Amino acid sequence: MDKIVNFLDQHFSGPVARLAEQRHLRAIRDGVISALPFIIIGSFFLIIAFPPVPQDSAIALWAKAHVADILIPYRLTMFIMSLYIAFGIGHNLAKSYNLDTLAGAQIAICAYLLTIMPKVMDGVGFVLPMSNLGGHGLFVAMLSSIFAVEVLRICKQNKFTIKMPDQVPPSLIRSFEALIPIGIVIIIMSLLTVVLGLDLHALVDKAVGPLVSAGDSLPGILIPIFLITFFWSFGIHGVSIVGTIARPLWEVYLAKNAEAVAAGQPIPHVAPETFFQWFVWIGGSGATLGLVLCMLFFAKTQYTKTLGRTVLAPGIFNINEPVIFGMPIVLNPTLIIPFVIVPLVNATIAYFATVLGLVNPTYIMPPWTLPAPIGAYLATGGDWRAIVLVLINITISFVIYLPFFKMYEKKLMEQEKEAAGEGVTA
Amino acid sequence: MKVLFVCSAGMSSAIVVNALKKEAEKQGLQVEVKAVSTQEFGEEVKQGWDVAMVAPQVRHRFDQLKQEADAAQVPCELIPPQAYTPLGGPLLYKKVIELAKKS
Repeated sequence: MDKIVNFLDQHFSGPVARLAEQRHLRAIRDGVISALPFIIIGSFFLIIAFPPVPQDSAIALWAKAHVADILIPYRLTMFIMSLYIAFGIGHNLAKSYNLDTLAGAQIAICAYLLTIMPKVMDGVGFVLPMSNLGGHGLFVAMLSSIFAVEVLRICKQNKFTIKMPDQVPPSLIRSFEALIPIGIVIIIMSLLTVVLGLDLHALVDKAVGPLVSAGDSLPGILIPIFLITFFWSFGIHGVSIVGTIARPLWEVYLAKNAEAVAAGQPIPHVAPETFFQWFVWIGGSGATLGLVLCMLFFAKTQYTKTLGRTVLAPGIFNINEPVIFGMPIVLNPTLIIPFVIVPLVNATIAYFATVLGLVNPTYIMPPWTLPAPIGAYLATGGDWRAIVLVLINITISFVIYLPFFKMYEKKLMEQEKEAAGEGVTA
Repeated sequence: MKVLFVCSAGMSSAIVVNALKKEAEKQGLQVEVKAVSTQEFGEEVKQGWDVAMVAPQVRHRFDQLKQEADAAQVPCELIPPQAYTPLGGPLLYKKVIELAKKS
């Protein structure tokens, strides 16, 4: 067993984990994460606009009458999230190259905006169609931001910048330094969008279309879940690796679901990040709340009794490193089995519950540290059935973990006995 | 002594931080401890910390974090998995003291 584990760690999880630390992937990951607060707060205005109360109540009637106004904060945050993300990617990529981060963020925004053709509207003047700044435009934002910062880097590295005498103040030098790369970015992007009339958004949409539908299918949901628990089994933060690749896709689903709700249309996607967070990772990666309950009710050794009490509170708020390293689950064959199985079962149930219309798909992003029933209720826009689903999944997690927990406890009890025996003889 | 912890979001290490504080109290040592996310680490480590401890689950980012710590001349090490639990206070305390002595 140890051999297999070592082999996998050295030849698979280790290298993949390092791959996820690749500069551009890291910049995308940190860029997306930097926009999450805007998405979290922005998405909450959807609940206010469509409150989970009876249709004829005063609150519902008030919301209905003011829906467009209520949604303005959402429209200028989550609805155009790719603009925030482009800024974040530019900033983080520039930072990793030790370039001026503000210049990096700005040049990324510039390249991204130049993928969108402004329109003229009677009586308003020039307008920028907002939909391409949203979830729709995320992949374009990723590509254009990286392109722009790379131009900045190449110019700087090859000293292809306008030099200023030393007496000139540094801030002025910086703005002159950026002139040539900004010029190049503007010319190339305008060439694509304006002269050649390319709609990069339509193009990229087509290219990632298969990926977008694959990630929303049952295998597309189960594969990342398996990989996440697989990495955690070696003690590596699974979401931080798998999420590097998958999170952009998950955020696109979330954005599109929110857009559909705001437009009064049926919700298209099952698998935004919120699906995993609230229906699968209950108590943290590996859905370990069930294991914590096993400890609370059935612990026989001193160690698991103490551990169970200390990990309950963090577990309710979906923090489970204390369980993963404390039990431990890491490199522990007995507990790795349920740790991998439970989330797959939870996800399958939640997938069918969502597809069959038994619960609303998620479209709001509550902070991930809320207790799961509350988070699931909010994420589905106030669907009480989501709470039931969460409770069912907790029960299933408990039932699957229990036999493995008991097996592991037997081992622990023997160890405790041995230790106690040694204590007497010594 | 000032100890900086870093984990994925700065949440889980907050729990381990408490374990360390308790143990340090027992040993009669004044410690100031803070937990940050990997994104915040680069900036925070410059703020005059004595040692920096990296959570085991972000060990794939250790090289980069170590670089950032080196730049700030703060000794930096991985926390062994057995020490990264609410009950791992004593072992963690030992590791922190060792690291601080090394520098």
